Amino acid sequence: MKVRHLENLQETVHSRELENGLKVHVLPKKGFSRTYALFSTKYGSIDSRFRVEGRGEVHVPDGIAHFLEHKLFEEPDGGDVFAKFSLRGASANAYTTFDRTSYLFSATDNIPENVEQLLDFVQNPHFTDASVEKEKGVIAQEIRMYRDQPGWRSYYGLIEAMFWAHPVRIDIAGTEESIGRITKEMLYDCHRTFYHPSNMHLIVVGGVDPERMFRTVERNQAGKTFGPPPVVERLLPDEPPAVRERENRIRLAVAMPRCLFGFKEADHPADPQALLDRELEMGLALDLLFGPSSGLYQTLYEEGLITDSFGADFMCREGAAFSVIGGDTPDPDRLLARVRELVAEAAERGFRRDDFERCVRKRLGAFFKLFNYPEAIAREFSHHAFRGTDLFSVPERYAAMTRERVEERLRKHVDWERFCACVVENRPA
Amino acid sequence: MNGSYLRGTVNGARVHVLPTDRFKTDSICVYVGYPLRPETVTPTALIPFVLRRGTALNPDMKRLREKLDDLYGAGFGFDLFKRGHYQIALFRADAVRGRFVADSRALLEETAAYVGQLLTQPALERGAFRKDYVESEKSTLRKRIESILNDKTRYAGERCIEELFRGDRYALSPLGRKEDLDAIDASSLYGHYRRWLEEAVVDIYFVGETSFEEASRCVRDYFRWQRTRCGEYAPAASAARRDGEVRRVTETMEVSQGKLHLGYRLPVTYGSRDYPAALLFNGLFGAYPHSKLFMQVREKASLAYYAHSRLDGHIGMMSVQSGIDPRNLERALGIIGEQLEAMKRGDFTDLEWNQTRAMIASQLRETGDSPFQLIAFDFNNVLAGTERTPEGLIGELMRAGREDVMRVAEGVSLDTVYFLHGDGKGEAAS
Repeated sequence: MKVRHLENLQETVHSRELENGLKVHVLPKKGFSRTYALFSTKYGSIDSRFRVEGRGEVHVPDGIAHFLEHKLFEEPDGGDVFAKFSLRGASANAYTTFDRTSYLFSATDNIPENVEQLLDFVQNPHFTDASVEKEKGVIAQEIRMYRDQPGWRSYYGLIEAMFWAHPVRIDIAGTEESIGRITKEMLYDCHRTFYHPSNMHLIVVGGVDPERMFRTVERNQAGKTFGPPPVVERLLPDEPPAVRERENRIRLAVAMPRCLFGFKEADHPADPQALLDRELEMGLALDLLFGPSSGLYQTLYEEGLITDSFGADFMCREGAAFSVIGGDTPDPDRLLARVRELVAEAAERGFRRDDFERCVRKRLGAFFKLFNYPEAIAREFSHHAFRGTDLFSVPERYAAMTRERVEERLRKHVDWERFCACVVENRPA
Repeated sequence: MNGSYLRGTVNGARVHVLPTDRFKTDSICVYVGYPLRPETVTPTALIPFVLRRGTALNPDMKRLREKLDDLYGAGFGFDLFKRGHYQIALFRADAVRGRFVADSRALLEETAAYVGQLLTQPALERGAFRKDYVESEKSTLRKRIESILNDKTRYAGERCIEELFRGDRYALSPLGRKEDLDAIDASSLYGHYRRWLEEAVVDIYFVGETSFEEASRCVRDYFRWQRTRCGEYAPAASAARRDGEVRRVTETMEVSQGKLHLGYRLPVTYGSRDYPAALLFNGLFGAYPHSKLFMQVREKASLAYYAHSRLDGHIGMMSVQSGIDPRNLERALGIIGEQLEAMKRGDFTDLEWNQTRAMIASQLRETGDSPFQLIAFDFNNVLAGTERTPEGLIGELMRAGREDVMRVAEGVSLDTVYFLHGDGKGEAAS
């Protein structure tokens, strides 16, 4: 077992890798009643094409990772596992992202039993043709719910316009057509391929004793047999560096148009450490440029072009990295024109030293605040663990950050050839 | 240092202090409650927007926001909501404790100063708010009110409440009314602000590594107002049942999914003895994935992705939300109605009963893991004039019996069925 005490954070992490390859991390939170457990596989919506050793190339329908997430909740007796968690006072849930599927519970009691329940339902799939068909109706309603949300539509509308081929451009839930093609055989196949313990980790945060937790998980895993870890090659299509469309206009019933814009990155560092640094540098750069205390934000706010919904974020996944900036605006065209002027100016001018230092302080504070929230700790820990970086190295990476580096990063990022916008509005497109 | 609340009156405000070192942050909440009335709802809603633009010391919004960044990204935000017949403005702030970021400044005090100055010493010109700030924030508030429409679930929820409480001031939105904005100017708003600040009920919470003495000093030093008394909330009376037919309201809009919202009157409020039984009722009926609504509407009939119920103990209502295909409206209504009838008959298993008790108890226990949840729980007591603790409420839950839940179910009556859909065939009817 590896024990790491983080003196600056006043936290300790206990880690162990089991014989079957499952990684278990426990972070006890002193004084907390609640325990949050997150069981994740490195498998998400972008893993739609892959090759498994000994078999050919597979291309599965869009949305299958998310569909599988839904179906695992069903128990062999036809009931669902929510009921079993409820009986022990645990709230269970799950989510699918571009590159990960996570199952979780939050509870104040019966933690060992709940952890075993979590491991068991995720590791024991049970599907029938009828239950797969039935789920299609539920997911169709989920897809339609998102279709009515301007925030969601503008986000995917932007990515769709940026990318030609990379599967980030596809809705995590798929489409009603694509999920229509999903069969129980495909689900079993994806489960076999991606839910091997060696592709997964369990993170437990809260009022628990690490030793007891490890014993529970070890005993549970020892009672199950898994084949050798499948050797999986994930296939990503070639993605041209240019954006596919400069602008995507979507029609929807909205009170005020919503406009998101961003830049697509041309190069992708393979080294995890470099990816982490890029994430931190871009976080600082976007905050300095677009954050609520920036000159640009204040100017646009005073000109009535942005609202409190305005924000900026950077997304960096395998083979796809981009910024997403914007929010509700009464005049998308004017906003985009002003952004072009102001961003070009600001990137050229660079940042003031005191602004830079204040921004580093702000982001450092945000990092510490994360540790108030078990779900946030687990989520970030999982993101770092799958990527192979160290969540706890963030404060020292910030300390090593220089203004010049962040300025250089921003100048590289701001490439108008790779600028793209998505507008959701009432007017017919 | 993880004790219980220390309370007192300081400078015309109730101060509640919970010393604890459990969190990485120290948190402050200021609740300012004012009676919900048509004539004041809009100016009251506008006040926090204007206050956040600038203080006498830092009249510039950019400088004010830089101050937060400088305090290691101290969080600051405000919220407007209704609790019973009050419109409440909540100002919320939290800052990382200095020991984590190796900063010797008193970050809690600086954060308290930020909130206090923002609330009580606004940027002024010629004895009123700054005209440019008022005009700009009128436009922000107008956009905020309009943008409710962007979130169809929220829009449908508010419309359902509006219909359910037609003729009652609870129908007012906590963000106010768009049509009132034009008539507000810097001077009228400042006049209203002064009255609001003097007459409102004020509660200030501190949760973190602090003491009652330090918190009181912060309130004395930075909340510079002329308040003589803290005021009291009049506990909510349950909204009475309206006689007559169930009211059906249908609206059409360009949407992919139909939004079904049902409004029920409930003769129980937070202060009632039956409140724990109402929590159990709501849990069995629709609050959780094991509840009747989720099991029947989603898992059995596959009609929806979500189907749940929510209780408002401060006004005595329950609502049900579900997103469905318009073709399934009558089927969904049928299933939901049957579940309520089952509740009235006491038709719930020991399994459902035990699941529900376990879920509510667990939720109550974890209140203590989040500073803002801790504060919100305690503020319910202030509003309702009760003295509940999470542990005490768990005890009450465990003592409630099936017949108590059936009694609550018997009193629940469907009042409004609101449906938003996109097929163009809808019409408003009552």
